[in-house]
Amino acid sequence: MSMNLIPGIQSTSSALTAEKLRLDMVAQNIANANTTQDLNGEVYKRKEVIFESSLKRAENGNVYKGVNVVEIRDDNSPGKKVYRPGHPHADERGMVQMPNVEVTKEMVDLITASRSYEANLTVVRTARQMAQQALRIGR
Amino acid sequence: MEMLGKLYSLQNYVISNKLLDKAHLNHEVLSHNLANIETPGYKRSKVEETFDAKLQSLVDAKKVSQIKNLNPKAVVDFDSKPIRVDGNNVELDKELMHINQNALNYEFLTQSVSGTIKHLNTAIRGRI
Repeated sequence: MSMNLIPGIQSTSSALTAEKLRLDMVAQNIANANTTQDLNGEVYKRKEVIFESSLKRAENGNVYKGVNVVEIRDDNSPGKKVYRPGHPHADERGMVQMPNVEVTKEMVDLITASRSYEANLTVVRTARQMAQQALRIGR
Repeated sequence: MEMLGKLYSLQNYVISNKLLDKAHLNHEVLSHNLANIETPGYKRSKVEETFDAKLQSLVDAKKVSQIKNLNPKAVVDFDSKPIRVDGNNVELDKELMHINQNALNYEFLTQSVSGTIKHLNTAIRGRI
């Protein structure tokens, strides 16, 4: 019963969680934009968050539960190779494999995710006002 | 109990009740759409547009008692054009606009229900 007082709160909170995870991933990608070797000795691969709608079809109509993060995927597109003969991770020809992180792309992702986050925060406020109005019925 | 039963079957009260149900569902659906703005291939949902017409026809036919069996339903909106290559058709500004519109609608309805109760209260007290 109580979960129905604030309309759509499940959807909105799941979106906030998902967008925050996306912001985290952007931060990790940018932080590792120059990581040429991880613990396994491989070059860092850009991480990507995959979203999925979690619409449930119940007997009496649909239940809207928002958005799920299904997986955090490695982006396998090739990164640049740069000529840095003195680099400890350089191959015999002096080439270093760089991560496939493009900082401009990450910045675009960052702005999109933070705008979505803001939009969902606005909706929480609206939903709360709606619940308060419902509680004021009869006064 | 008898008198309260009368209140709950007042036309104004019954209609506002159903419209509030609709506004509640509408907010759920719209916030779900907004939550899935980045979901690949997601198609936005909306509350069935025929609901208002059905309600209106029941009111016109003076079948107020049948209104309680009428429930708003959400359907997938295939009409809006996809705005992303993956087929997602959620637009941030439109969704936010609908949410604000719906919230205002909800406020109006809650005040309308309060008004119905206040009228009754005035009648009981016999003074304003």
